[in-house]
Amino acid sequence: MRSKYLVKIVSSVVALVLVLLLWVLIISKPSDGQVARSPLLGQPAPSIVSTTIDDQPFDLQRRKGSWVVLNFFNSTCVPCINEHHLLVDFANREATNDNGAELYTVVNDDSDGAVRDFFSKNGGDWAKLKDDNGAIAVAFGVARVPETWVIDPNGLVRLRVTGELSAGLLEAQLDKLRAEFSS
Amino acid sequence: MKTKKSVWLAMLLLVCLLLAFGATRSGGPLTQQDRIDLVTSHLACPTCSGESVFVSRASAAEAIRTEVARQVGAGIRTDDEIISYIEQRFGSQVLLVPRSTGLDSLVWSLPVAVLIIAMSLLVSAFVRWGSRKSSTPSATDEMLVKDALAETSQDDEG
Repeated sequence: MRSKYLVKIVSSVVALVLVLLLWVLIISKPSDGQVARSPLLGQPAPSIVSTTIDDQPFDLQRRKGSWVVLNFFNSTCVPCINEHHLLVDFANREATNDNGAELYTVVNDDSDGAVRDFFSKNGGDWAKLKDDNGAIAVAFGVARVPETWVIDPNGLVRLRVTGELSAGLLEAQLDKLRAEFSS
Repeated sequence: MKTKKSVWLAMLLLVCLLLAFGATRSGGPLTQQDRIDLVTSHLACPTCSGESVFVSRASAAEAIRTEVARQVGAGIRTDDEIISYIEQRFGSQVLLVPRSTGLDSLVWSLPVAVLIIAMSLLVSAFVRWGSRKSSTPSATDEMLVKDALAETSQDDEG
Protein backbone atom coordinates (compact mmCIF):
# COMPACT_ATOMS: atom_id res chain seq x y z
CA MET A 1 0.00 0.00 0.00
CA ARG A 2 2.83 2.34 1.00
CA SER A 3 4.83 1.52 -2.13
CA LYS A 4 1.76 2.29 -4.24
CA TYR A 5 1.69 5.85 -2.83
CA LEU A 6 5.45 6.16 -3.32
CA VAL A 7 5.15 5.21 -6.99
CA LYS A 8 2.37 7.79 -7.43
CA ILE A 9 4.45 10.53 -5.78
CA VAL A 10 7.63 9.73 -7.76
CA SER A 11 5.78 9.56 -11.10
CA SER A 12 4.00 12.86 -10.32
CA VAL A 13 7.33 14.56 -9.56
CA VAL A 14 8.89 13.21 -12.79
CA ALA A 15 5.85 14.35 -14.79
CA LEU A 16 6.02 17.81 -13.18
CA VAL A 17 9.73 18.15 -14.03
CA LEU A 18 9.05 17.12 -17.65
CA VAL A 19 6.20 19.63 -17.95
CA LEU A 20 8.44 22.38 -16.52
CA LEU A 21 11.22 21.53 -18.99
CA LEU A 22 8.74 21.61 -21.86
CA TRP A 23 7.44 24.98 -20.62
CA VAL A 24 10.98 26.40 -20.50
CA LEU A 25 11.58 25.20 -24.08
CA ILE A 26 8.33 26.77 -25.26
CA ILE A 27 8.85 30.19 -23.66
CA SER A 28 12.60 30.49 -24.36
CA LYS A 29 13.38 33.04 -27.05
CA PRO A 30 15.66 32.31 -30.01
CA SER A 31 19.25 33.33 -29.38
CA ASP A 32 19.57 35.61 -32.43
CA GLY A 33 20.28 39.26 -31.79
CA GLN A 34 20.35 38.94 -28.05
CA VAL A 35 22.20 41.14 -25.63
CA ALA A 36 24.50 38.55 -24.13
CA ARG A 37 26.54 38.25 -20.98
CA SER A 38 30.31 38.11 -21.00
CA PRO A 39 32.96 38.18 -18.29
CA LEU A 40 34.46 41.10 -20.25
CA LEU A 41 31.52 43.43 -19.61
CA GLY A 42 32.69 46.35 -17.47
CA GLN A 43 36.31 45.27 -17.98
CA PRO A 44 38.98 46.98 -20.09
CA ALA A 45 38.67 45.85 -23.69
CA PRO A 46 41.31 43.38 -24.88
CA SER A 47 44.13 45.02 -26.72
CA ILE A 48 43.69 45.04 -30.50
CA VAL A 49 46.61 45.96 -32.68
CA SER A 50 45.93 45.10 -36.30
CA THR A 51 45.69 46.55 -39.77
CA THR A 52 42.73 47.22 -41.98
CA ILE A 53 42.28 45.29 -45.22
CA ASP A 54 43.63 48.47 -46.86
CA ASP A 55 46.80 48.10 -44.77
CA GLN A 56 46.11 51.04 -42.47
CA PRO A 57 47.32 50.48 -38.89
CA PHE A 58 44.73 50.14 -36.12
CA ASP A 59 45.21 50.21 -32.35
CA LEU A 60 42.12 50.07 -30.15
CA GLN A 61 43.98 51.88 -27.34
CA ARG A 62 44.23 54.93 -29.57
CA ARG A 63 40.45 55.05 -30.02
CA LYS A 64 39.90 56.02 -26.38
CA GLY A 65 37.62 59.02 -26.10
CA SER A 66 35.20 57.58 -28.67
CA TRP A 67 32.49 54.98 -28.49
CA VAL A 68 33.69 52.04 -30.56
CA VAL A 69 31.48 49.37 -32.12
CA LEU A 70 33.14 46.17 -33.33
CA ASN A 71 31.16 43.91 -35.61
CA PHE A 72 32.62 40.43 -36.20
CA PHE A 73 31.79 39.51 -39.76
CA ASN A 74 32.18 36.93 -42.51
CA SER A 75 30.92 37.60 -46.03
CA THR A 76 29.47 34.08 -46.37
CA CYS A 77 27.53 34.11 -43.10
CA VAL A 78 23.80 34.61 -43.74
CA PRO A 79 22.97 36.53 -40.52
CA CYS A 80 25.92 38.86 -41.30
CA ILE A 81 24.49 39.53 -44.75
CA ASN A 82 20.98 40.00 -43.31
CA GLU A 83 22.05 42.56 -40.70
CA HIS A 84 24.34 44.53 -43.01
CA HIS A 85 21.75 47.14 -44.06
CA LEU A 86 21.09 47.82 -40.36
CA LEU A 87 24.79 48.50 -39.82
CA VAL A 88 24.83 50.86 -42.82
CA ASP A 89 21.87 52.76 -41.31
CA PHE A 90 23.59 52.78 -37.92
CA ALA A 91 26.85 54.14 -39.39
CA ASN A 92 24.94 56.88 -41.24
CA ARG A 93 23.09 57.88 -38.07
CA GLU A 94 26.28 57.96 -35.99
CA ALA A 95 28.08 60.04 -38.63
CA THR A 96 25.60 62.85 -37.99
CA ASN A 97 26.08 62.69 -34.21
CA ASP A 98 28.77 64.79 -32.47
CA ASN A 99 29.37 61.98 -30.00
CA GLY A 100 28.89 59.36 -32.72
CA ALA A 101 30.30 55.87 -32.36
CA GLU A 102 33.02 54.56 -34.65
CA LEU A 103 32.07 51.33 -36.37
CA TYR A 104 34.65 48.70 -37.31
CA THR A 105 34.22 45.36 -38.98
CA VAL A 106 36.46 42.58 -37.71
CA VAL A 107 36.94 40.14 -40.56
CA ASN A 108 36.53 36.60 -39.25
CA ASP A 109 37.98 33.70 -41.26
CA ASP A 110 37.46 35.40 -44.62
CA SER A 111 39.61 36.73 -47.45
CA ASP A 112 40.25 40.44 -47.96
CA GLY A 113 39.04 40.17 -51.57
CA ALA A 114 35.69 38.64 -50.57
CA VAL A 115 35.17 41.35 -47.94
CA ARG A 116 36.04 44.12 -50.42
CA ASP A 117 33.58 42.68 -52.96
CA PHE A 118 30.84 42.44 -50.35
CA PHE A 119 31.24 46.02 -49.17
CA SER A 120 31.50 47.44 -52.67
CA LYS A 121 28.19 45.73 -53.53
CA ASN A 122 26.35 46.39 -50.26
CA GLY A 123 27.81 49.66 -49.03
CA GLY A 124 29.61 50.53 -45.82
CA ASP A 125 32.72 52.69 -45.89
CA TRP A 126 33.97 52.06 -42.38
CA ALA A 127 37.30 50.33 -41.65
CA LYS A 128 37.57 46.54 -41.87
CA LEU A 129 40.12 45.01 -39.51
CA LYS A 130 42.15 41.94 -40.34
CA ASP A 131 42.05 39.07 -37.86
CA ASP A 132 44.04 36.50 -39.79
CA ASN A 133 44.82 34.12 -36.93
CA GLY A 134 41.59 34.76 -35.02
CA ALA A 135 43.40 36.44 -32.12
CA ILE A 136 40.84 39.26 -31.86
CA ALA A 137 37.95 36.77 -31.91
CA VAL A 138 39.58 34.68 -29.17
CA ALA A 139 40.37 37.79 -27.09
CA PHE A 140 36.65 38.67 -27.13
CA GLY A 141 35.46 35.06 -26.87
CA VAL A 142 33.72 35.14 -30.25
CA ALA A 143 33.02 31.65 -31.54
CA ARG A 144 30.31 32.40 -34.10
CA VAL A 145 29.67 35.43 -36.25
CA PRO A 146 27.98 37.84 -36.27
CA GLU A 147 28.72 39.38 -32.92
CA THR A 148 28.67 43.06 -32.08
CA TRP A 149 30.52 44.67 -29.18
CA VAL A 150 30.41 48.20 -27.81
CA ILE A 151 33.37 49.79 -26.03
CA ASP A 152 32.96 53.06 -24.16
CA PRO A 153 35.27 56.13 -24.42
CA ASN A 154 37.21 54.87 -21.37
CA GLY A 155 38.05 51.64 -23.15
CA LEU A 156 35.65 49.50 -21.10
CA VAL A 157 33.51 46.82 -22.71
CA ARG A 158 29.84 47.79 -22.33
CA LEU A 159 27.75 45.59 -24.61
CA ARG A 160 27.79 42.27 -26.40
CA VAL A 161 25.15 41.28 -28.93
CA THR A 162 25.31 37.75 -30.27
CA GLY A 163 23.67 36.77 -33.53
CA GLU A 164 21.86 38.85 -36.12
CA LEU A 165 20.98 42.39 -35.06
CA SER A 166 17.35 43.38 -35.03
CA ALA A 167 16.25 46.80 -36.30
CA GLY A 168 16.94 49.55 -33.78
CA LEU A 169 18.56 47.28 -31.19
CA LEU A 170 22.06 48.68 -31.49
CA GLU A 171 20.84 52.30 -31.57
CA ALA A 172 18.63 51.81 -28.51
CA GLN A 173 21.35 50.05 -26.54
CA LEU A 174 23.98 52.63 -27.45
CA ASP A 175 21.70 55.55 -26.48
CA LYS A 176 21.07 53.85 -23.15
CA LEU A 177 24.80 53.33 -22.60
CA ARG A 178 25.61 56.92 -23.57
CA ALA A 179 23.08 58.19 -21.05
CA GLU A 180 24.49 55.91 -18.37
CA PHE A 181 28.23 56.17 -18.92
CA SER A 182 29.00 59.41 -20.75
CA SER A 183 30.68 61.83 -18.36
CA MET B 1 42.62 -19.75 5.27
CA LYS B 2 44.90 -17.25 6.94
CA THR B 3 47.49 -17.54 4.12
CA LYS B 4 44.79 -16.92 1.52
CA LYS B 5 43.71 -13.75 3.31
CA SER B 6 47.27 -12.43 3.49
CA VAL B 7 47.77 -13.08 -0.26
CA TRP B 8 44.64 -11.03 -1.06
CA LEU B 9 45.78 -8.31 1.31
CA ALA B 10 49.24 -8.21 -0.30
CA MET B 11 47.67 -7.99 -3.77
CA LEU B 12 45.42 -5.13 -2.66
CA LEU B 13 48.38 -3.30 -1.19
CA LEU B 14 50.35 -3.79 -4.42
CA VAL B 15 47.49 -2.43 -6.54
CA CYS B 16 47.21 0.63 -4.27
CA LEU B 17 50.95 1.24 -4.48
CA LEU B 18 50.97 0.94 -8.28
CA LEU B 19 47.99 3.30 -8.57
CA ALA B 20 49.67 5.84 -6.29
CA PHE B 21 52.91 5.56 -8.28
CA GLY B 22 51.09 5.97 -11.60
CA ALA B 23 49.12 8.97 -10.36
CA THR B 24 52.10 10.85 -8.96
CA ARG B 25 54.74 9.89 -11.53
CA SER B 26 56.17 12.84 -13.40
CA GLY B 27 56.38 12.43 -17.16
CA GLY B 28 59.48 14.62 -17.34
CA PRO B 29 59.75 18.08 -18.88
CA LEU B 30 57.22 18.86 -21.63
CA THR B 31 58.07 20.36 -24.98
CA GLN B 32 56.12 23.39 -26.20
CA GLN B 33 54.10 21.19 -28.54
CA ASP B 34 53.31 18.82 -25.63
CA ARG B 35 52.03 21.78 -23.63
CA ILE B 36 49.92 23.05 -26.55
CA ASP B 37 48.44 19.56 -27.03
CA LEU B 38 47.79 19.19 -23.30
CA VAL B 39 46.07 22.57 -22.94
CA THR B 40 43.99 22.22 -26.11
CA SER B 41 42.88 18.71 -25.13
CA HIS B 42 41.39 20.24 -21.94
CA LEU B 43 39.37 22.80 -23.93
CA ALA B 44 36.09 22.16 -25.74
CA CYS B 45 35.59 23.51 -29.24
CA PRO B 46 32.98 26.27 -28.71
CA THR B 47 31.17 25.60 -32.00
CA CYS B 48 31.20 21.79 -32.06
CA SER B 49 29.56 19.24 -29.81
CA GLY B 50 31.79 16.98 -27.78
CA GLU B 51 35.03 17.76 -29.59
CA SER B 52 38.12 19.16 -27.98
CA VAL B 53 40.04 22.08 -29.45
CA PHE B 54 42.88 19.59 -29.92
CA VAL B 55 40.97 17.44 -32.43
CA SER B 56 38.53 19.93 -33.96
CA ARG B 57 39.12 21.51 -37.36
CA ALA B 58 36.49 24.25 -36.84
CA SER B 59 37.76 27.79 -37.37
CA ALA B 60 36.96 28.81 -33.77
CA ALA B 61 39.00 25.84 -32.49
CA GLU B 62 41.85 26.69 -34.83
CA ALA B 63 41.84 30.30 -33.56
CA ILE B 64 42.00 29.05 -29.95
CA ARG B 65 44.80 26.63 -30.85
CA THR B 66 46.77 29.48 -32.43
CA GLU B 67 46.25 31.66 -29.35
CA VAL B 68 47.32 28.82 -27.01
CA ALA B 69 50.42 28.25 -29.15
CA ARG B 70 51.19 31.98 -29.06
CA GLN B 71 50.87 32.14 -25.27
CA VAL B 72 52.92 28.95 -24.76
CA GLY B 73 55.56 30.36 -27.11
CA ALA B 74 55.61 33.66 -25.23
CA GLY B 75 56.23 31.73 -22.02
CA ILE B 76 54.39 34.23 -19.83
CA ARG B 77 51.56 32.02 -18.62
CA THR B 78 51.33 28.56 -17.07
CA ASP B 79 49.03 25.94 -18.57
CA ASP B 80 46.37 26.66 -15.93
CA GLU B 81 46.59 30.40 -16.59
CA ILE B 82 46.14 29.84 -20.33
CA ILE B 83 43.08 27.67 -19.68
CA SER B 84 41.71 30.38 -17.34
CA TYR B 85 42.32 33.02 -20.03
CA ILE B 86 40.26 31.05 -22.56
CA GLU B 87 37.60 30.31 -19.92
CA GLN B 88 37.27 34.02 -19.08
CA ARG B 89 36.54 34.72 -22.75
CA PHE B 90 34.31 31.82 -23.73
CA GLY B 91 32.79 30.86 -20.36
CA SER B 92 33.08 27.71 -18.29
CA GLN B 93 31.36 25.60 -20.99
CA VAL B 94 34.70 25.64 -22.82
CA LEU B 95 36.25 23.47 -20.09
CA LEU B 96 36.24 19.76 -20.88
CA VAL B 97 37.39 18.94 -17.35
CA PRO B 98 35.19 20.82 -14.86
CA ARG B 99 36.90 22.80 -12.12
CA SER B 100 37.02 21.39 -8.60
CA THR B 101 35.72 24.64 -7.07
CA GLY B 102 32.31 26.32 -6.92
CA LEU B 103 29.24 24.73 -8.47
CA ASP B 104 31.42 22.73 -10.89
CA SER B 105 32.77 20.73 -7.93
CA LEU B 106 29.36 19.01 -7.72
CA VAL B 107 30.36 17.08 -10.85
CA TRP B 108 33.14 15.47 -8.81
CA SER B 109 31.55 15.28 -5.38
CA LEU B 110 27.99 14.13 -6.24
CA PRO B 111 28.93 10.75 -7.79
CA VAL B 112 31.21 10.00 -4.83
CA ALA B 113 28.47 11.00 -2.37
CA VAL B 114 25.91 8.86 -4.21
CA LEU B 115 28.35 5.92 -4.27
CA ILE B 116 29.04 6.23 -0.52
CA ILE B 117 25.32 6.46 0.29
CA ALA B 118 24.50 3.48 -1.97
CA MET B 119 27.30 1.38 -0.45
CA SER B 120 26.18 2.28 3.09
CA LEU B 121 22.59 1.32 2.27
CA LEU B 122 23.73 -1.98 0.76
CA VAL B 123 25.96 -2.80 3.71
CA SER B 124 23.22 -1.98 6.22
CA ALA B 125 20.74 -4.10 4.23
CA PHE B 126 23.16 -7.06 4.15
CA VAL B 127 23.82 -6.72 7.88
CA ARG B 128 20.08 -6.62 8.58
CA TRP B 129 19.41 -9.71 6.47
CA GLY B 130 22.34 -11.58 8.02
CA SER B 131 21.25 -10.84 11.59
CA ARG B 132 17.74 -12.14 11.05
CA LYS B 133 17.35 -15.24 13.28
CA SER B 134 15.13 -18.12 12.27
CA SER B 135 11.79 -17.41 13.86
CA THR B 136 10.45 -19.87 16.38
CA PRO B 137 7.03 -21.35 15.52
CA SER B 138 4.08 -19.95 17.39
CA ALA B 139 1.59 -22.06 19.31
CA THR B 140 -0.88 -21.75 16.42
CA ASP B 141 1.78 -22.99 13.97
CA GLU B 142 2.46 -25.98 16.21
CA MET B 143 -1.27 -26.72 16.43
CA LEU B 144 -1.61 -26.59 12.66
CA VAL B 145 1.33 -28.94 12.19
CA LYS B 146 -0.05 -31.33 14.79
CA ASP B 147 -3.49 -31.32 13.09
CA ALA B 148 -1.89 -31.92 9.71
CA LEU B 149 0.17 -34.83 11.05
CA ALA B 150 -2.86 -36.30 12.76
CA GLU B 151 -4.86 -36.10 9.54
CA THR B 152 -2.06 -37.78 7.62
CA SER B 153 -1.77 -40.63 10.10
CA GLN B 154 -5.59 -41.15 10.01
CA ASP B 155 -5.48 -41.33 6.21
CA ASP B 156 -2.68 -43.88 6.39
CA GLU B 157 -4.65 -46.05 8.84
CA GLY B 158 -7.81 -45.78 6.71
